[in-house]
Amino acid sequence: MNNYVNMGNMFQNEFMMTYPEAMPQAKMSVQDSELSKKLSKQAGDNMNFNKCGYDGKSNPNQLYDVYNGFIRGNMFPDLFNQYKLSRPYDVKGMNEQAELLTKVDAYSFAAHDINLYLDTHPNDRAMIDLYNQYSADAWTAKNEYESKFGPLFVNSNEGYPWTWNNTPWPWENK
Amino acid sequence: MWKYEKKLQYPVNIKKKNLKMAKCILTQYGGPAGELAAAWQYLDQRYIMPDDRGKALLTDIGTEELAHVEIISAMLYQLMKGATKEELKEAGLDSQYAQFGMDLFPSDAFGNPFNMTHIKVAGDYIADIESDMGAEQRARATYEHLMDLTDDPDILGPLSFLREREIVHYQRFKELRDYYLKIKNESLK
Repeated sequence: MNNYVNMGNMFQNEFMMTYPEAMPQAKMSVQDSELSKKLSKQAGDNMNFNKCGYDGKSNPNQLYDVYNGFIRGNMFPDLFNQYKLSRPYDVKGMNEQAELLTKVDAYSFAAHDINLYLDTHPNDRAMIDLYNQYSADAWTAKNEYESKFGPLFVNSNEGYPWTWNNTPWPWENK
Repeated sequence: MWKYEKKLQYPVNIKKKNLKMAKCILTQYGGPAGELAAAWQYLDQRYIMPDDRGKALLTDIGTEELAHVEIISAMLYQLMKGATKEELKEAGLDSQYAQFGMDLFPSDAFGNPFNMTHIKVAGDYIADIESDMGAEQRARATYEHLMDLTDDPDILGPLSFLREREIVHYQRFKELRDYYLKIKNESLK
C-alpha cells in the first residue's frame, strides 16, 4: 500500500538539494501490520477506508520527509492511503515567493501533524524532539519569507508604511 | 484566542472556473459533513472533556478545521470568479446569485443554508468523540464523491489533501476514544 514513500521524484530531489541541512532523510517504508495487509487485500488496491490496524505505536518515528508529508496531507506512512490519484501531486512554486511559502507551509504542516499525534501520545520523547525541530524550521522559513516578501502574521515586525494590507491575500491566485 | 496567518494550509490555485464543481463543493463549506460544522462541533465539545488530552486534541483539530473552511472558501471563490450570468444559470447557481451576489454563503450542495443541527454534541464525552469519528468518516466519503466528479488537478490537489486530513483526524479521535474507554473500564473494575 505504501508505494509512495521515497519514490525519488524530480522535485523531491530538487527540494532537498535546496534545503539539504534542514530536510531530514525519509526513513524507509514502514511495513503494514498484518491486519492492515489483510484488510487491504480484501478491499483491493484502491483501499478507500482507514487502516484500522494501525495502533499508533508500530513505528511512530518513521515519518515521511517534510515535503512528502505535506503534499500527502499526512506525515504518517502507516496511516496513508490514496484515493483516485495514482500519486500525490507536487506543490511547485512558480517563483521564489511561492517556493518560500511552500517551505513555510511544509514545515508548519509537519509540526502540526506531529502536534496532533503528541496530543494522544504525550510521552513520546523522540516525537517531541522532532516537533521542536520542525517548529523551529518553520519559524526560520517564516522569517526568511517575511524578510523578503512582507508579513504572514500581523504581529511580525512591521516596516513603514504599514505592509500588512498590501501583501497578497491567500485566496487570490495571480 | 485565534490569530490569523496570511496563508492557506495547502495552496489553492485553480485556473479554470467551474460553476458546477463550485455548487458541489459548497457542501464542504456549509453542508452536513462540511468543515464549518466540524470546526464548531469540536470547539463546542472541548468544555466537557474529562482531561487535558481531550481538550488539547479538540482545540487543535477544531482550529485546523477553521483553516479548512478557508481552503474550501478559496476554492469556491476561484471556481466562481468571473462567471457570467449565463454560466451561473446553467450551473443552477442563479438563485445563489440572486440572494447573495458573488458573496460566499455557507450552504449545502442543494442550496440549503448552513444548519446548526449539523453540529452534534451530546453532553457525553464518549458519545461526542464517536460523533467526531463519524464526522471525519462522512467528510472523507464526501471528499471521495467530490474527487469522483472532476479530473482537474487544480481541484483534485486540495480535495485530496483535505480527504487525507480526515483520515488522520479520525485516527487521533479513535486513539482518544480508546484511551478514555480504557480508563473508564478500569475504574469500573
